[in-house]
Amino acid sequence: MSSGLGLTEGGAILIVLLVGFLPTEIWRSLAILAGRRIPEGSAVFHWVRAVATALLAAVVARLVLAPSGVLVDVPLVLRLAAVGGGLATFLLTRQSILLGVLAGELIIVASLFFTRH
Amino acid sequence: MPERSTLGWVLVGVRHAVTVPALVLFASYVGYGALLQGVGFPPWASVLSTFLIWALPAQVILVGGLVSQVPLPALALAIGLSSIRFLPMTMSLAPYMRSQRGRLLVDLLCAHYVAMTMWLEGMRLLPPLPAHARIPYMLGLGNFYIASAMSGTIVGYLLASELPPVLAGALLFMTPLSFTIMMVRNAANPTDWLALAAGVLIMPLALGLGGGLDLMIAGVGGGTLAYVGGRLMKRRQEAGR
Repeated sequence: MSSGLGLTEGGAILIVLLVGFLPTEIWRSLAILAGRRIPEGSAVFHWVRAVATALLAAVVARLVLAPSGVLVDVPLVLRLAAVGGGLATFLLTRQSILLGVLAGELIIVASLFFTRH
Repeated sequence: MPERSTLGWVLVGVRHAVTVPALVLFASYVGYGALLQGVGFPPWASVLSTFLIWALPAQVILVGGLVSQVPLPALALAIGLSSIRFLPMTMSLAPYMRSQRGRLLVDLLCAHYVAMTMWLEGMRLLPPLPAHARIPYMLGLGNFYIASAMSGTIVGYLLASELPPVLAGALLFMTPLSFTIMMVRNAANPTDWLALAAGVLIMPLALGLGGGLDLMIAGVGGGTLAYVGGRLMKRRQEAGR
């Protein structure tokens, strides 16, 4: 299994820089350059915030609806049940993120266990 | 709030970062580290990838692309498309992490820390702070988050080339689960709730489009709908008064 990619340390760092870092960091830097004059509380600010929130929700929804790796084997209903169970636990426990995450993880682990056996 | 030195605010930021979200980051990145070890990615470049890219979805795309030998320019493009969310995220967090004297380099450095966890926690924790405290505080917060993720990468890398499938699945599920909970905790006004609902509901419809276009439609379309909806609700409320 080892060095299946056949990359040296230097080559891999170069790839991380050019193919990984540059295409992600460019958006963060552009945001600073473009957004320097957007004051907090302005209409543009509220719109950008709404877009960011919707984008994040969409990213998360995509991770649940079209998962990768071993999660593909877990039926959608169970993936939704795990998120729903975690969220319900969070709301019922005076907003404990820890208990919410634990409850959701419990459901997904049980689902993984039973779909694999 | 008591008066503190710059270093004092950094330490407050670190202290506030020692929470479940940091633990979730650590766990998620254990899965990433194990993945890298499994495909034979060199160790230093692995840890550096977490520090420099600081976006788990992009990092997973990078590794997956290298394994399936996607041409590097195409891979860079895919990673760029998957990271567009950083534009509105950084723009909306920027007013709370702007250097007092408008030093561009400081602002660019701060922007590097923006990622899902940092955005969600920053939008909640930064606004109540006095302006001079925000940058040292967010650097304490952000550096602790990145350090947690880097530790996770190292631990995963050292642990095993292949995690047991159930554990791998559990770690993989951490991201959508914890972010859903944190987003619900953060939702403070009708626009936030509408944006959450729009993003979640439009996503399945746009899913077939792929190539990052689905996220653009759900994000820009859903966000705009939420913004307009939020304004209309506010206006109606004011008119009814």
